[in-house]
Amino acid sequence: MLPYIIRRLLWLPVVLLVVSLITFALGYYGPGDPIQVRLGPRSNPDAVARMRHELGLDRPFLVQYADYVWKAAQGDLGESIKYQGEPVVSLIGRRIWVSAQLGLAAMVIGLVLGLPLGFFAALRQGSWVDRVIVSSSLLFAAVPTFVSGPLFLWLFASRLHLLPSAGWGGLFDSRVILPSLVLGLGLVAGFARQTRASIIDVLSHEYVRTAWSKGLAPQNVFGRHVARNALIPILTLFGLMLGGLVEGAFITETVFGIPGIGRLGVDSLFARDYPVIMALTLIVAVSYILANLLVDLLYAVLDPRIRYG
Amino acid sequence: MADGLRGGQGPWQSTWRRLRRNRLAMVCLGFIVIVYTSGVFAPWIAPYSYTEQRLYEVKRPPTLAHPFGTDELGRDLFSRVVWGARSAAVVSLVSVGLATVFGVALGALAGYAGHWIEAVIMRATDILFAFPGTLLTLFVAATIKPSVLEWVRRLESLTGWKGLARSGLVDYMVVFGCLSIVAWPGMARLVRGQVLALRNEQFIEAASCLGASTGRIVLRHVLPNAMGPVIVAVSMGLGGAVLSESVLSYLGVGIQPPNASWGVMIWEGRDLWRTAPHLVFVPGAIIALIILSFALLGDSLNDALNPRLK
Amino acid sequence: MRSSMTKPARLTFLITVVVLLGLLTTACDLFGQSKKGTIALPKVTRSGALTMLGNDPTTLDPALAEDVDSAVYIVEIFSGLVTLNHDLQVVPDLAEKWDVSDDGKTYTFHLRKGAKFHDGREVKAADFQYSFERALDPKAGSLVAENYLGDIVGAKEMLDGNSKRLQGLKVVDDYTLQLTIDAPKVYFLAKLTYPTAFVVDRQNVEGKRNWTDKPNGTGPFKLQEWKKLELIVLARNENFYNGVPSLERVNYILSGGSGITMYENGEVDVTGVPISDIDRVLDPNSALRKEATEVTEFSTSYIAFDVTKPPFDDVKVRQAFAYALDREKLVSVVLKDEARLAKGILPPGFPGYNESLKGYEFDPQKAKALIAESKYKDPASLPRMVLSISGEGGSASRSITAIVEMWKQNLGADVEIEQVESATFLSDLKKHKYQMFALGWIADYPDPENFLDILFHSKSPSNNMQYANPAVDRLLEQARTERDTSTRVKLYRQAEEMIVSDAPWIPLTHPQGYVLVKPYVEGFANLPMVVPMLKDVSLKAH
Repeated sequence: MLPYIIRRLLWLPVVLLVVSLITFALGYYGPGDPIQVRLGPRSNPDAVARMRHELGLDRPFLVQYADYVWKAAQGDLGESIKYQGEPVVSLIGRRIWVSAQLGLAAMVIGLVLGLPLGFFAALRQGSWVDRVIVSSSLLFAAVPTFVSGPLFLWLFASRLHLLPSAGWGGLFDSRVILPSLVLGLGLVAGFARQTRASIIDVLSHEYVRTAWSKGLAPQNVFGRHVARNALIPILTLFGLMLGGLVEGAFITETVFGIPGIGRLGVDSLFARDYPVIMALTLIVAVSYILANLLVDLLYAVLDPRIRYG
Repeated sequence: MADGLRGGQGPWQSTWRRLRRNRLAMVCLGFIVIVYTSGVFAPWIAPYSYTEQRLYEVKRPPTLAHPFGTDELGRDLFSRVVWGARSAAVVSLVSVGLATVFGVALGALAGYAGHWIEAVIMRATDILFAFPGTLLTLFVAATIKPSVLEWVRRLESLTGWKGLARSGLVDYMVVFGCLSIVAWPGMARLVRGQVLALRNEQFIEAASCLGASTGRIVLRHVLPNAMGPVIVAVSMGLGGAVLSESVLSYLGVGIQPPNASWGVMIWEGRDLWRTAPHLVFVPGAIIALIILSFALLGDSLNDALNPRLK
Repeated sequence: MRSSMTKPARLTFLITVVVLLGLLTTACDLFGQSKKGTIALPKVTRSGALTMLGNDPTTLDPALAEDVDSAVYIVEIFSGLVTLNHDLQVVPDLAEKWDVSDDGKTYTFHLRKGAKFHDGREVKAADFQYSFERALDPKAGSLVAENYLGDIVGAKEMLDGNSKRLQGLKVVDDYTLQLTIDAPKVYFLAKLTYPTAFVVDRQNVEGKRNWTDKPNGTGPFKLQEWKKLELIVLARNENFYNGVPSLERVNYILSGGSGITMYENGEVDVTGVPISDIDRVLDPNSALRKEATEVTEFSTSYIAFDVTKPPFDDVKVRQAFAYALDREKLVSVVLKDEARLAKGILPPGFPGYNESLKGYEFDPQKAKALIAESKYKDPASLPRMVLSISGEGGSASRSITAIVEMWKQNLGADVEIEQVESATFLSDLKKHKYQMFALGWIADYPDPENFLDILFHSKSPSNNMQYANPAVDRLLEQARTERDTSTRVKLYRQAEEMIVSDAPWIPLTHPQGYVLVKPYVEGFANLPMVVPMLKDVSLKAH
């Protein structure tokens, strides 16, 4: 097991290097000058040239890239060009916390609604309850966030005046309800379907029947065998959901005015704030890889059949 | 002659039969076909031009003359939705098509050839997976587009084909490219998994013993049997592509106005959800229904391909 | 299975119900809170305080500020030699009076005695020397120092890194400062009202790394709190040299939200009105109508032509396009009167504005006639035309789409819209890649030079149309140093008329908006430029 972990961890910096190289290249050779963006339609070619020199933007590609990697390894991800000198790390740090909270809230909603629904659908497989649950959870997942967002806003904030419409105040502030609902409902489908599928699958397996025929009390059957094996694919889903959250976050944060990394990503992209874009790409890439590694390891723990040599 | 050693009734036919029995799947399929065909035939179906403005009839709710109402510039919403269907259909079919072709080819190669070829391809998919999808597509679309435009303009002047560099076409090309790049790794992985599982099947060995060449084996035996999950993935992928296209257009790096796209329509109507909600909800509902249909269809295909033995 | 629900299933069911109930109760709790009207905002104390929405500033450093979002806070926390009053006249601020030399190139400022920084230290002329030289130091990285301080002798040398001291600035004594500029430019004083010329405290700036989190300014308000992305709180400066403000505090909510919804819920005291709600707010039967005021900003939105690219190298074609636009309809229907029709370059109320300028009235017949007179004769033989616009987000603005339709209907001209993502748009604009483009221009300081010279002089770097008319150039150059105000105005008006008739621009509109202000707020001035005004605001008991 250990060599496997080590191999996977060694792979991490390689992937990061390639990812950062591609992102850096896109930025370097791409059009759009972050300094000009700040100036807008005004022109001051001398000032622009001076600034580019100060920021080292006129150095050759490899020099800039190497410099970036060197500093990044020491934890310095540069300074934002748009927010004039603000260290990227602090800029992102603040917002990552916000997005993480939103993500957590959405996950909770997804799990709390998804798992029981999937469970019931599995127990009642083939019946109309099953079909309704599957279809409605798919419906939730199918509605894009930039549609469900305004829909919920219209319903809860505008018509019913029940909930606040935008802004952010932390996890225990009522402003978290609408956006996490919007984001979380999309996850419900995934969790529900996966739970349903794995429970159905497990229920049909030999060892469950064996356990039953042996006269094991039902709660033992469920507890030890079913739950454990059903958990595996759900874990996979966890890893994938992270990806889904990041994607959904972009739009949800824009619609609800939440100062998270999704919005930072979109804003930085349009401002060509390369230090921020690169840092975001790297951070998300690291999270994906680590999350998936964690999931794979948990697999191995839960199912003795899957051990990596 | 060693044909794809399938016994009895062809698996495709039985799959299709099972699918047909599933009424929900048929409804979804029907819906998709209707929307996509009206998209393809948009120029003939849409009652009005998607740019024609009637500035004194703005934001009307649905009436007989305008079954979906009019938007904030007085354009007929129904026509714009139909033209939007065209964008959605074209983008999803082309990008998923490209992704499938590449993904299947590379996945089969990886699965069958093994060794360093497989390693290279799998590492490539790993890297692409690590990229945050939306950010990458946004970034690529925003940075690559002008270069593509330049290139197309040069092509236009070289070949004399006018109208090539209309920015609409370039938009489409960029969107196709981005979506395919993001989608092919998934396809490749899937196919590779299938190929790995099938390699050791008896009928493959048999074919090999009988002297079939590698290429023939792959093409006539392995791939057809691996197609099951691929088809399901294609169905889901089409839904995903429609969603991605609308997100890209919503953020302004996809299809540009005045070409209608559902994402663009939602962006345009986003501030008006309080007074003219139909501008957001009509295109939004269609997007949701299409994605839902593809998902349900995919599910049903999955069931049809792997009937559960109770 | 024996019973319909086995025991473990029942257990799970129970657990699920409990969890859901738990969620429901928490939700009700939060709902309850919101029903009471105290929808949780960042912790702000509302009494004695003005609350409104604000945008995250990109910086609070006066030397670096380039955008309105930052300037709004900076002008209240810091101050400079001069400022603008509510009539947009240049008035004394930290300088209580000044003399101008006979040749118009040397300004001697006499500083107010006893004016203090927030920490109690008195402001002296040396502080201004430090502030100006710091802004002009290339290491500071200011993109705008050149625009606002560049006229001072020696400024360019400092910016190029060839000098460490500002030659044209002399500290005569503790309270007297002398500035020498390179030519008798009358608009120089107006430029000094911009944050780049504000004074900062050396010890404050060179102290901590993020000194802008705790700035030691000289303005009517101090920065009490800056919770990034959430809240900015300004607190009254009890020792302000020009009259202590009435407001105790000003809260800016940065975390976003629908201003108008919050206004109606009583969470903010002032808000802008988005275009989607204009109809509702301006409805004479609405209670909000009384609280709404019209606001202009000194800006002009326009369509510009690159006059070197066909077919727009022919002035008749440009004029035809101008005549083919029905701007009245644009303003009333598409923009819902959130704008005024623009006839010329300068906006109404701006110094030098010419009310009698006729501009291009909607005349499709004339438009077609002009095309016939041009070298193309027929709209069908016009080459491919592309209107490039910048956009984030899915679509061309409604007015652009409407305009292109109008050209099609009234002129038979087919113009493509090319929407380019903003960063690319700007760099391509500077490379002169576009045939025609749509943009807007907002005034930086209240002087016609800021519009006419900067945008239309053939040698100006901000002249994106490659427009060059020697007669116009001569007028503009003369006006730069003309010291008699009425002659100057005449020169600019002549220049404007020539420019309008040459049509490198089709001026479209002067955007305006509406702002809602609660009746218990007094003295809230909606000015077209960023000018400190919070110190004149007061709250009635409510």
